[in-house]
Amino acid sequence: MAKPTDLVQGTLDLLILKTISLESKHGWAIAKRIQQVSQEALQIQQGSLYPALHRLEQQAWIKAEWRPTETGRMAKFYSLTRSGRKQLEKELATWVRLSTAINIVVQEA
Amino acid sequence: MQIVDKARLRLRSLFRRPNVDCELETELRFHLDQLIEEKISSGMPPEEARRAAQRTIGGTAQYQEECRDMRRVNFVEDLVQDVRYTIRSLAKGPGFTAVVIATLALGIGANIAIFTIVHGVLLRPLDYPKPDQLMYLTAEAPAAGGARSALSAPEYIEFRQMNRSFAEVGAYSTGGAAYTTGEVNLTARDRPLRVRSISVDAHLLKALGIRPEQGRFFTDEETARWTGTLPPPIAILSHELWRTAFGGRPLVGQKVEVEGRPHEIVGIMPPGTDVMDHHTQVWLPLWLHPNMARQREAHVLYVIARLKNGVTAKAAQTELSTFLENWGDRVGTRDHVPTKRAMRSVDHTLQLRSLQDAIVGNASRPIWVLQAAVGFVLLIVCANLANLVMARAGSRRREFVLRTALGASRGRLLRQSLTEGAVMSGAGGILGLWLASAGVRALIRAYPTSIPRTSELTIDLPVLLVALGLSTGTALLFGFVSLGRRRTSSMMTALKEGARAASGAWRHYARRGLVIAQVAFAVMLVIGAGLLVQTVYNLTRIDAGFDRSRLVTFSMTLPMANSEADTRARAYQRVLDRLRSVPGVLEAAAMSGLPPNRTPDAIATPIENYTSDDGKHVAIIDYYQFVMGDYFETMGIPIVAGRGFERTDNASQGKVVIVNETLAKRIWKGQNPIGHRLRPPGGSFGASDDVWHTVIGVAKDVRQRGVERPAGTELYVSLDQHGVSPPSMNVVMRTTLAPAALSRTIERVVREVDAAVPVVRLRDMDSVFAESIRRPKLLAQLLGAFAGLALLLAAIGTYGVLSYMVTERRREIGIQVALGATRSRVLTQIMKQGLQVTAIGVTIGLAGALAVNRLIASLLFGVQPTDTVTIAFVIATITAVAVVASWLPAWRASRLDPNVVLRDE
Repeated sequence: MAKPTDLVQGTLDLLILKTISLESKHGWAIAKRIQQVSQEALQIQQGSLYPALHRLEQQAWIKAEWRPTETGRMAKFYSLTRSGRKQLEKELATWVRLSTAINIVVQEA
Repeated sequence: MQIVDKARLRLRSLFRRPNVDCELETELRFHLDQLIEEKISSGMPPEEARRAAQRTIGGTAQYQEECRDMRRVNFVEDLVQDVRYTIRSLAKGPGFTAVVIATLALGIGANIAIFTIVHGVLLRPLDYPKPDQLMYLTAEAPAAGGARSALSAPEYIEFRQMNRSFAEVGAYSTGGAAYTTGEVNLTARDRPLRVRSISVDAHLLKALGIRPEQGRFFTDEETARWTGTLPPPIAILSHELWRTAFGGRPLVGQKVEVEGRPHEIVGIMPPGTDVMDHHTQVWLPLWLHPNMARQREAHVLYVIARLKNGVTAKAAQTELSTFLENWGDRVGTRDHVPTKRAMRSVDHTLQLRSLQDAIVGNASRPIWVLQAAVGFVLLIVCANLANLVMARAGSRRREFVLRTALGASRGRLLRQSLTEGAVMSGAGGILGLWLASAGVRALIRAYPTSIPRTSELTIDLPVLLVALGLSTGTALLFGFVSLGRRRTSSMMTALKEGARAASGAWRHYARRGLVIAQVAFAVMLVIGAGLLVQTVYNLTRIDAGFDRSRLVTFSMTLPMANSEADTRARAYQRVLDRLRSVPGVLEAAAMSGLPPNRTPDAIATPIENYTSDDGKHVAIIDYYQFVMGDYFETMGIPIVAGRGFERTDNASQGKVVIVNETLAKRIWKGQNPIGHRLRPPGGSFGASDDVWHTVIGVAKDVRQRGVERPAGTELYVSLDQHGVSPPSMNVVMRTTLAPAALSRTIERVVREVDAAVPVVRLRDMDSVFAESIRRPKLLAQLLGAFAGLALLLAAIGTYGVLSYMVTERRREIGIQVALGATRSRVLTQIMKQGLQVTAIGVTIGLAGALAVNRLIASLLFGVQPTDTVTIAFVIATITAVAVVASWLPAWRASRLDPNVVLRDE
């Protein structure tokens, strides 16, 4: 099982940004969502997730607000800022280019 | 927008840290709870679910810290925390803190003070436009012991015409041959003042590149026409004199009385303008007596020249030395011209040096010596503090290890150490800066003329930067020293050992090495100081050739403009007569030049039946002394052959003179000089013509140019016999009264004779002497103070190391005592350790002193740099200090009670 540290550098940021691009989520939901969507292939550890969230917040790409969850507990919900959306597009483009390139190399070889 | 958001977040993290931390914890808590819930819903029992979740997540502290790091403000927080922590821990040990900060303040303060002088005097360029283009041209004669002297007027004019290197060459004079002493009488709003004057030509002002603040400078015609008997009555005032004496009211174009003659003030100098550190107050047009202007032997002009743009000083030197190859051929005379290599006693050569070097002169070596000394002091301070910090680090070992165990990284601990160093050296630096500025001010007040360029000394930006650098350097040193030894220690051993610190060999050697270094530096400083103290002692005990006890002297000038030579003589006679009748005054006489520190006259004097090395019948006599009254009697100068002046000489037609021993030896070489004749130029003292004088006696040599320099040739002329007098005379009285008690009487006597004449420099001869040895005294005092400080610090260092060693070895000593070692044995054993360290330090220090002491050889008088007495004394002193410093810890060790010690363990 791939650990986050095995992810290509900077990929975690992309995953987080993409995951919260549709609706705001709290940390736990983000981790769960990535896990589900990747069919359990990617498990994001708490120790990587929260520092990453804080870093993104410091970059002002995401913003946080405290809201009650469906169960009524207070949680910190992260959503994309405008610059975060731009950043997501940029990173997506980079990722597509990179993964295509890698695919070509891998398949050619 | 983004930037604003970021800034908002950072500020929030910084100032609302508790909130932010609390949020982070809640957030992580939420995550954990979600995980537990998930595990419970998958069928795990709650307790087990909780444990499993905890296991998956691990300790939250670590990534809480990581999250904080992400906020990018941690270093600020850490710093604030470190500073707070440092201040708290320093406040807990006020003794330690006070010692550290006081030592640092002394070390840094002394360095800043001396560096202020180094920078202000030696390094900072002069206050003229393009100062590095300015050069100073002087004559140097081997006969005068290589002392710099002035050029003759013909030489100056020839050099002006010959050179191609200089854009402008100018000359100045502070007077010569008893006419002025670089001072004039000036009446400011009816108040007679004695002010410092300089006579300059228009070229000089152009060469300096200065502009008048008001009015104009002198024109070429006004300063080059050396005809008539007096210079044109015009003057330029310094800005400072204009402000203080005339209240800054409009003055240009108005008349002010200078030397008894109304002078038109044509201009005011900009503030701070001066030449050669003369402290000039009034600038007069350069003027030479026509006879003197033609004489090649009359060295009266100092020359300052400005290089053309693009011409180097070296090129100018080369040019000058080609001139010196054949100066005589170039100017068409063989008569007393400068030569390249001055071999014979009548020869002289010319020297160019940068104006700044010329101004600083021989002050630069003592200043660098002081800078080196304070550098040593700072090294000792650092060594001492490093020792202190190491000792403290030993006892704080557990604290640091504990903090490492709790998750503090090495970098974080280093930062903490550096912060401690920075806080202490910052405090020390600020205190040091304050000490330095107070110290420099006090120094200038106490020794206003001993250091050149004192008026320009300030603590300015470069000095502040050096202060900052010093403090930072010590802070870094500190931090690394206190952490350095922790690197070697493993966490486990430290925790196991508890409060008792590990005795690593490294640390032992390091601490001993530091003490050895301190002792070595202290030895070097104390030897240097010892040699200088001995120099000062030797200087004060020099026999200057006369009896200086109970002598009071003052100086006065009857301006040449409104008096004739014979009226002046009568006026001085009246002053002397009235002073002789004052109760308490035993004798009174007057002289033209006050020993032991006057400027040489260097007057070419024809001598009968004498031929000099260059085939002339003229010798240059270094000093003319024109005297009135019983001069030799009053001054207590012994007549070694023949007789002194007598009253009967005054009426006799045959003019007589007295020579000093050096002149007798140099001219008549062992023959009896009495009866020989010389012809002093009458113009030099106010007589109308030159007549032959017969030598009637030989006087003992009197030091004239500093007590430490050998006497030159000197000729005594009795003014009583001629009935004339030069304008300026020094009156000297043998009296039982103090100068202060006499001042009113003297002022009254002088006022009765001439109300416009101020009494200047009224003091006793002892202060004249003190004045002449001020610089070596200042140097000895400062170096002595630094050496004392060094000695004290080295003693503290030795004491510290030994007492620490005793504390560390309590158990061992306890066992020894329990096994029967006597108290005296323990005492000797510990003291031996201390003395061993001292002995090594002394040996290294001696080697160092021998290596560097030749640097101060030129500053010493009557004592060799390798003086065995001084060295023995220093070794004895240091050993005595070391014995005291080692005895206390040794005594404490010998008092240890084995029962108590062994039970402690």
